[in-house]
Amino acid sequence: MSSVKDYMVRTMNSITPDDSIRKAIIIMYRSEQSVLPVVDHQNLFVGTIYSNNILKNIIPESFGFLDSSRLFYEVNEAVENLKYVKDEKVEKYMARNRDAVKENSDMKKIADIMLNNKESLLFVINDQGYLRGFIERSNLLHYLLDETEGDAE
Amino acid sequence: MITTVTLNPAIDREYFVDKNEVMKNQFIYDDEHLKVYPGGKGLISAINFKSLGYHDVQNIGFVGGKQGLFFEKMVQKHDIISNYIYTESEIRNNVKIIGREPATYTQYNDYTFKVEKEEVDELIVRFRRSIAESDCILMSGSVPEGVDFDIYQRLIKIAKKQGKHVFLQASGEALKLALESEPDIVTPYFKHHKTILDMEMNDKKDYIRAGKKMQEMGAKRVMVPFHCDRLLFDRNGDVYQLSPKGYCIINWLGASDAYNTAYLDYAFKTDNFDFLEANLRGGAAALWVAENKEIYLENRKDYNSYFDRLSINKLEV
Repeated sequence: MSSVKDYMVRTMNSITPDDSIRKAIIIMYRSEQSVLPVVDHQNLFVGTIYSNNILKNIIPESFGFLDSSRLFYEVNEAVENLKYVKDEKVEKYMARNRDAVKENSDMKKIADIMLNNKESLLFVINDQGYLRGFIERSNLLHYLLDETEGDAE
Repeated sequence: MITTVTLNPAIDREYFVDKNEVMKNQFIYDDEHLKVYPGGKGLISAINFKSLGYHDVQNIGFVGGKQGLFFEKMVQKHDIISNYIYTESEIRNNVKIIGREPATYTQYNDYTFKVEKEEVDELIVRFRRSIAESDCILMSGSVPEGVDFDIYQRLIKIAKKQGKHVFLQASGEALKLALESEPDIVTPYFKHHKTILDMEMNDKKDYIRAGKKMQEMGAKRVMVPFHCDRLLFDRNGDVYQLSPKGYCIINWLGASDAYNTAYLDYAFKTDNFDFLEANLRGGAAALWVAENKEIYLENRKDYNSYFDRLSINKLEV
C-alpha cells in the first residue's frame, strides 16, 4: 500500500493567524505557492490561506470576470484596497478548515478527496496534528503513473 | 523530530576534469564528472540522520531567490522537512574544480548572499514555533551577511527557554556571543584564521586553554578539533584526547558533520549517556567519511567497525 508520506512534499513553509496579509503575500510569491498552511504557535495546523481569498477581498465585485475596459480601474481599486488589507491579520481571511490528511493515509483515499472536493492541494499533518508538508495533484498523478507502470510489469 | 539549523547554505558544484588549465575551455559530458548538491553544515547532518533511520528531520534556515527554490528541492529529495525563510537575495554557489593529472583543487567560494533584517526577524519567529516537537537542536555553520553575530545566542536562548538541548558548531564572533546562552555541547571550527575566541592556536596548550575558556563562558561540554585529533572537555573538568590510528585521509568534506551526527545519534539512543562513548562514535563516523569519497553517512554498520582504530587518553591539565 502506498501512503501519502511516499509522495508528499516535506515543508514547514507556513504562516500564523497573527501574521499580516503582507507577510502571507511575500511568502507566497517567494516560495511560488498560492496556498499556505496556517499553524498556531506550536506548529499545529489550524487552517489555510488562499491567494484567491485575498484577491476576492481586494477586488470584491468582479473577480474572475474582468473585462478589458474595466481592467485598469479594477487593478487600481485592488491596489487601493490592498493598502488597507495588507496590514490586517491572516486570521481574518483564512479558511478554518481541517481538511488536512495524515502522512500515513492511503494514497487511494487522497485520490478520492482530491477528485471529489476539487482541492488541488492538501496539507499533510502527523497523528498529533503537526504540519508535515503538502500533497498536490502532480503528486497524485505521480502515484497513479507508478501504479499504472507497476501493473504493466 | 530532529532540528538542524543552517543559516548560510550553498549550492555546491564539483567539476572533475583531467587537467585544470587556465584559458582552456572544458567540456563535461559524463554526469559522473559533475556533482551538484545542497551544502551547509547543519544540512549535511540532517541528511545523515535520515540515513540512520530517523523519521522526522527538519532543516531550518534561509534560502534565497530562484536558486534557493532549487536548493530546497534538492533538500526535499533527501526526505528532509525544509523549513526556510525565503530571502530576496539569491543563495550562494560554491564551485570546485578538481583536476586529476596533476592533482589540483581549485575552489571559488561565493559570499554574495545577503539577508535583510525583516528576514532575520521572521527566522526567529519561525524557529520559536518550529522546535516544539524537538528535544535537541543542532546549530552549525557560518552566518551570512546581514545577520548579526548574536544570532546563535538568540536562537539558543529560545531553545533553552523551551527546555531543549543545544549542540553548537560555530566559529568567530558568533561562537563567542553564543556561549553566553549556555549551549550544552560546543565544537568550534576554524574558518579563515586559526583562532578560537580571538586566541591564536599554535600548540596543544592553546587548544586546551580555549576549551577551558569556552566552558568558563557557558558551554557545558566542549570538543575542540586538534589537527586530526579532538580534545574533549567533559563537564566535570576532565580533559581527554581522542586520536585515530593508521589513517589515510582522502576527504574532509562532511567529516565534522558525521562526527556531530554520530555523537547525537548515540545520545538519542542511550539511557545512560557516556561522553567518551559518544565521542568514540563521532570519531569513528568522521574517520569513515574522511577515508571514503562519501560526504554523507549511509548506515551505522559502516563506522561501527572503526571503533578499534580510535583511542582516548586522559590528559593531565
